[in-house]
Amino acid sequence: MSPEGTEEMTDSFLSIKNIRKTYGSVIAVEDVTLDIAKGEFLTFLGPSGSGKSTTLFAIAGFEAPTSGEVILDGQALLDIPSHKRNIGMVFQRYTLFPHLTVGENVAFPLRVRRKSASEIKSKVAEMLELVQLQDMADRLPSQMSGGQQQRVALARALAYDPPVLLMDEPLSALDKKLREEIQTQIRRIHKETGVTILYVTHDQEEALRLSDRIALFNQGRIEQVGTGHDLYFNPATRFVAGFIGNSNFLEVEAQGARDGRAKAVFPDGTQMDGVPLHTDGAGNEGSVLMVRPEAIRLETAASQGAGLPIRIFDTTFLGDAIQVDGRTSWGQTVTVRAPLSAGGAQGAGPGDTVNLQWNAEESHLFSNG
Amino acid sequence: MTTATANPAADRSRMKGAALALPALLLLLGFFVAPVLSLLVQSVTEPSFGLQNYRELIATPTYATVFFNTFLVATLVTFFALVLGFPVAWALAVLPPRWAGVIFAVVLLSMWTNLLARTYAWMVLLQTTGVVNKSLMALGIIDTPLALINNLTGVTIGMVYIMLPFIILPMQATLRTIDPATLQAAALCGASRWQAFWRVLLPLALPGIASGGLIVFVMSLGYFVTPALLGGTSNMMLAELIAQLVQSLLRWGMGGAAAFVLLVITLALYAVQVRYLGAGRTAVGG
Ligand SMILES: Nc1ncnc2c1ncn2[C@@H]1O[C@H](COP(=O)(O)OP(=O)(O)O)[C@@H](O)[C@H]1O
Ligand SMILES: [Mg+2]
Repeated sequence: MSPEGTEEMTDSFLSIKNIRKTYGSVIAVEDVTLDIAKGEFLTFLGPSGSGKSTTLFAIAGFEAPTSGEVILDGQALLDIPSHKRNIGMVFQRYTLFPHLTVGENVAFPLRVRRKSASEIKSKVAEMLELVQLQDMADRLPSQMSGGQQQRVALARALAYDPPVLLMDEPLSALDKKLREEIQTQIRRIHKETGVTILYVTHDQEEALRLSDRIALFNQGRIEQVGTGHDLYFNPATRFVAGFIGNSNFLEVEAQGARDGRAKAVFPDGTQMDGVPLHTDGAGNEGSVLMVRPEAIRLETAASQGAGLPIRIFDTTFLGDAIQVDGRTSWGQTVTVRAPLSAGGAQGAGPGDTVNLQWNAEESHLFSNG
Repeated sequence: MTTATANPAADRSRMKGAALALPALLLLLGFFVAPVLSLLVQSVTEPSFGLQNYRELIATPTYATVFFNTFLVATLVTFFALVLGFPVAWALAVLPPRWAGVIFAVVLLSMWTNLLARTYAWMVLLQTTGVVNKSLMALGIIDTPLALINNLTGVTIGMVYIMLPFIILPMQATLRTIDPATLQAAALCGASRWQAFWRVLLPLALPGIASGGLIVFVMSLGYFVTPALLGGTSNMMLAELIAQLVQSLLRWGMGGAAAFVLLVITLALYAVQVRYLGAGRTAVGG
């Protein structure tokens, strides 16, 4: 057995293998493969309809996938009915049992497991304390706010110590402030319990704040898996670059591709050497250059000479930075976000022509798919 | 201290509501309250003034049997209608709209078909030489025809069929309000289908079950056509008794007394519903 093989086996606590799900002619999930380590907080991020929930539901057992496998801790999961999977889940909608009090809701999974009364009592107390709702055991769900209900749902899902906790956009119905508050609680609970969490969201800020790793979904596939840092600074595809953060996409021609790099030639003849090149599966060479607004420096046309010239049409003061919007000679708009402390041409205004410079490392060439 | 008239706006809207309800109230007065009052008056004046009709109603064993039959049939019908109606209501609530629409149409069509026609259809099906008996005999399940008509069985079968829509409609309305995700949550919590049914679905469906059950029970108490056609002489129910007292025996006072007792029982059951199940209120919350 190879050492790599061993490592992969110990690493993967939950394995999703080639999951595919179709509804008639609709492909909900095309082909998803993913390994999740024990104790990891992994987030499915992606636009609505990209197959995040469908993948999660396959793990929960509500919808059998058309094909593929799910292995949890060495055990094939798909042939086991939902109620025997021992998985925790918090849903997008409020799913507390409305006829039961908060305490009875948390006790529910323990009751159906026929735990002793004393065990149930202490576990319910422990769980309500975990979500900081210990004073609300006797309330009915209808007497609680949405945020409180989701915290009870979290307590109910963790009451039976599941190896994996699934969360499908649990905070999407809450306002921003409350959402951030509960995000902080979720992080704390993840640390305290060490439970492996699969979290679904379409909100990149939420994904970046919570996750160890993010799997970025697009049209039923995973575009890239990695830390937020990876996805931000080393996007594997144009979709990732466009989805995470703000980006400029500029028309270029990639020339002389070698060792994963190429020379970018802009329509006005400006050139830049050594830009990382990302070829997609078809092997098309890049024809669009991505660069973040904050990676760009502004130089006056006179001071340095080199760089991509643009004509400024708008500047916006942002407090700590200034946003400059300009147009290239062939008419594409470019956004620059320059810190106020930076030198160069930050004093330039509308009508001025400036040169844009950036480190080749901080830009990426993609196929214009 | 109570402040019943703290809100003049609410009072005004209440008065406006009363004014709008006036035509309906007059209609009720003319077509419902007046006949009931005359019934009540007759029951204590015919043939002479006093409570002798009620005394006879209580004291005569034949009448007691009729009351017993009536409650027995209503209970059986309600029970079977609930048991058979629940799966249909559930299907209506969870099936995709197209399939639910088909079931809905069948339920409504049967409800709108003439009552006599439906009851005669059951007579044809259930008689000794009817389709049911013939099929069972052809399959070798029975040797001699079962007595399915002119007895309690016939009445129950015929009435359950007629009452089903009245139980399915309120029940599916309640079941529709239950989010399927709640049941998925129950499953992930470890509840088997059986446990999810008893611990989650049934308690949540209870308001619909109770109101549907009560409607059917009350309707069954006063039912005439089906018991008259499918029942035997030993299964006489209250409505049949009243008809017989009035039409054949011309004992208007006795008929009035029996009808009035039926009315009181019905109103009492209605009061129970309003008090404990409440229109617009559910078992949840509050
Ligand atoms: N029951 C279903 N029938 C038909 N199409 C479905 C069904 N469930 C999901 N889909 C489709 O599958 C795709 C992925 O859905 P979903 O996994 O819910 O996306 P997400 O959770 O990422 O928003 C969507 O296009 C959706 O319309
Ligand atoms: Mg979703």
